[in-house]
Amino acid sequence: MEALSQLLTIAIWEIRRFQGTMTRDLLPVAIVLLVLLVGVSGFTAQKGIHLQDGIYRVGVDSQIYLDIIGGDPRYVVYSLPSDVTNIRSLGLDLAIRAGSLLRSNGEKGAAAQKSFERDYQAYQDYIYRQQTDLFAAYPVWIDSEYIVSELDFLATQSGQQVAAPRTASPTPPEPEKIETDIIPPSGIIPADMEQLRLQLEEEAARGADQLGRYTDLLSQQEALGELRVPSMLSPPLPFDTIIFIFVFIFPLYFTSQFFMMSIMNERTLRQGEALIASPVRPVILVLGKMLPYAIGMILIVVAILFTVKADVLAILPLIPVILFFLSFALFIGMVARSYKELSFISIFFSTIATSYLFFPSIFANVHIVSLLSPVTLVVHVIDGTGYTLTDYIYSTTLFYLTSLILFGVCIRNFHEEQLFTEKGLLDALALYLGALISNRYWYLSLILISMMTIPFVFMAQMMYLVLFFNLPMPYSLILIMVLAAMTEELVKAAGFVGLISHRYPPLTWKIVILASLLIGFGFLLGEKLLLFVTISQIADSIFGAALFMSLGLLWVPFLLHSGTVFCTGAVVKIWGKNAFPIGITLATVVHTLYNLYILRGWVW
Amino acid sequence: MVNQRLVTAIARKEIRGLTSEKTIILAILLQLFIALFSSFLMVGLSAMYDPSVYGRITGIQYGVGFVGNDTILFDLFSRDPSFMPYRMDPGVALGALKERQLAAVVWPSEDPPDGEDPVIVTLYTISNDIQSTVIEVKIKDILLEYEEILRDIRKDRLDFRPVSVTPSRPVAQNSFYEFIYGLLIPMLLFMPAIISAGLVIDLITEEYQEQTLDTLRTTPATLEDIVCGKILACILIIPVQVALWLVLLTINGIQIASLVEILLHVVLASTALILIAATIAVYYRDRTKAQFIFSTAVIIVLLLILAFPSNPINLIVLLAVGVAPLYHWAVMAASLAGSAILVVIVKNMIRRVEYS
Repeated sequence: MEALSQLLTIAIWEIRRFQGTMTRDLLPVAIVLLVLLVGVSGFTAQKGIHLQDGIYRVGVDSQIYLDIIGGDPRYVVYSLPSDVTNIRSLGLDLAIRAGSLLRSNGEKGAAAQKSFERDYQAYQDYIYRQQTDLFAAYPVWIDSEYIVSELDFLATQSGQQVAAPRTASPTPPEPEKIETDIIPPSGIIPADMEQLRLQLEEEAARGADQLGRYTDLLSQQEALGELRVPSMLSPPLPFDTIIFIFVFIFPLYFTSQFFMMSIMNERTLRQGEALIASPVRPVILVLGKMLPYAIGMILIVVAILFTVKADVLAILPLIPVILFFLSFALFIGMVARSYKELSFISIFFSTIATSYLFFPSIFANVHIVSLLSPVTLVVHVIDGTGYTLTDYIYSTTLFYLTSLILFGVCIRNFHEEQLFTEKGLLDALALYLGALISNRYWYLSLILISMMTIPFVFMAQMMYLVLFFNLPMPYSLILIMVLAAMTEELVKAAGFVGLISHRYPPLTWKIVILASLLIGFGFLLGEKLLLFVTISQIADSIFGAALFMSLGLLWVPFLLHSGTVFCTGAVVKIWGKNAFPIGITLATVVHTLYNLYILRGWVW
Repeated sequence: MVNQRLVTAIARKEIRGLTSEKTIILAILLQLFIALFSSFLMVGLSAMYDPSVYGRITGIQYGVGFVGNDTILFDLFSRDPSFMPYRMDPGVALGALKERQLAAVVWPSEDPPDGEDPVIVTLYTISNDIQSTVIEVKIKDILLEYEEILRDIRKDRLDFRPVSVTPSRPVAQNSFYEFIYGLLIPMLLFMPAIISAGLVIDLITEEYQEQTLDTLRTTPATLEDIVCGKILACILIIPVQVALWLVLLTINGIQIASLVEILLHVVLASTALILIAATIAVYYRDRTKAQFIFSTAVIIVLLLILAFPSNPINLIVLLAVGVAPLYHWAVMAASLAGSAILVVIVKNMIRRVEYS
């Protein structure tokens, strides 16, 4: 009860403090800027973005071709002399002469032709849309039906067909099970001609309008219903998903910046000393300061969801994202030495976090990898598909765990010695790790530290998976393998860093061996636990095998993890703590060799 | 007037601070990451959407189940080396598709090619699958051909026809030209500008909030000298980063015309941004406020600039591809004049703050 009232007091103080920054000299300017922003966006949307204006030069021998390219600012149009053979000599990229399109050699000519072809398609569609007999202009309409075929990452191993065979046999395949209830296509058009014409126009308008496509996106309906003409038969642009990221993530990022600054301000000139000296526990202090920002972020998200008229259910996947941003804001606010360091670390972090959220979600509706990002769930809610509890656990567990662990580490270190140190980022991290080690139960602390790192490792490895998934097969596997090994060795070294920073127990050979065994054990335990909870789907595939080398007997991975971390420990024991990079490199090499040996059947 | 020696001394101190804190390394890493991000988008996604980017994929032959009896479409599929169509019963075809023994099933309606109504083709593919996306792109070409044939059969019913333009030779594959020159290069070149502008805010507000400004003022340096030194440090690191990008791009085989002009444009435009940031920082003397106002202002300025033809960013694109009009020098002069005006504004702001 007392804790709760303390929490509220701190939260109210924080709100007052924040109000203090919104002073009379800031608020009017902010309002003016906001009004300007709305006005300017409208203005720019109307005028269009002039970034690639005049990039191509095209010569035409007749005015009629202006209908095709006249509106496209990328072209500068010249009239073509009648006796031209080499268009390059005139500095032209394209030339249209008597209905025939010529281009100059090289990349630029090809790009110009590609752009022209797109314009020509749009022009053709414009002409065809005007025809009285729309079905003479558009004699083919496509109705896309999607068949659900269950497939998981285990498929490769169990011998199931993951994809249609790469070389088709001359005789038709014979399925084991024949579909029975099939409705043949009726051949009756579900809408009349004028309605279809209207839909075509809508679709064309959306394609032409750069900004309009994005502003419509959030509330868009499938413009053509089920039916499309062949030229519109293209999968939706994945770049659109980035708009979701901007709409949701940027306000969250900005709000977390205020929290970061609030923490940082407690540290400048030791302003927070009185607060820390008070009998309030650090956990109450941190949570109390965080509460207003967390509530603010949730309100912002609700407001956005409300404006785009989306289901409020979409907020659930965003809660772990909010926690994730806040926990990193706390950490960065606690370790940055100066404002410029604060800026750079936070920009760096947010770029990586944004891309972690962005990369997978571009595959929304395409691939299971997309579910790694909670934003995919938001996309699903907005487009009406929804998500299951399994989906939710699968895509948010890592976010919940990493934020909770980071909060734990920061709260544990939220006292004078750590807050007012002038150490650099890495040294501060070592100090934090050292503070996690208990004098009496240091062996337990080691196990805990390596278990704690697991969610971060998984996140990094998920990132590799998504980043390199597209590369051709052996390369993607090898690259993922090396990076995964490196990440694991890097975080396993955390135990040794903590030991050295804590200075107890002293690093004797006996301790090095014991610590290696403990770290290996903790790592394996954490890995198994997390795999069990979440990602067995990915973990058991060939990519998973490369990432989480823990199939088969348990003692083998245990020896591997202990052995490689022993490499790090031994190197550090011999050459001192500056040798960490050498130790980690050595451990990575050993780890990779082992992985290669296990996976040899897949790689060569 | 400003004391040149003091200004350079302060600029040198700030640059030393940047290198010792290794923040500049983080900044460069960040930009590399963004470049990686873009190349992922470029190569990964375009490979997904345009399989022909991978030349090797052409050897693959997909089985397609064909239901119904439209012969033209069936012939089009059998002519394409990427497909092997089979005439099948609907149940068998869909069963095989579900077991992934086929890539797609095509079922055209019975309407005649010259009929009143359009032919409706039902295309069955597997949902949530990357391969389906690739196949859909390939099938699209065939359907376009089919559309063209039927359109030709029904051409008498058209009111008027589009002007015809036929390419003398086809373009083989998707080109990244427009993306690289029209988006990536300007973005990479302006990243350092935004970073430096944020940096100048941090450098100035820090002196106020850490209360180190008073100590600094006990030296012969005036507030003007101090702020000018910080601005200078931020401007100086821009050409270094921009030049690094230009070199990296050139090494990657991306040829950039008129390097010197581009460098000048970027440095001038960045100077303007840095001066705006410095004015805001001197006025507010608080990082949270200044960064908030500045980031909103930057978005407004960028959007506004992009709305006008022949803006500096557009000119950088044109310079990079080597077709810049000569009046880009006039735009550069305008940037220079703008920066000069901003210098006066900063100085006034400093004086106002100093004696208030």
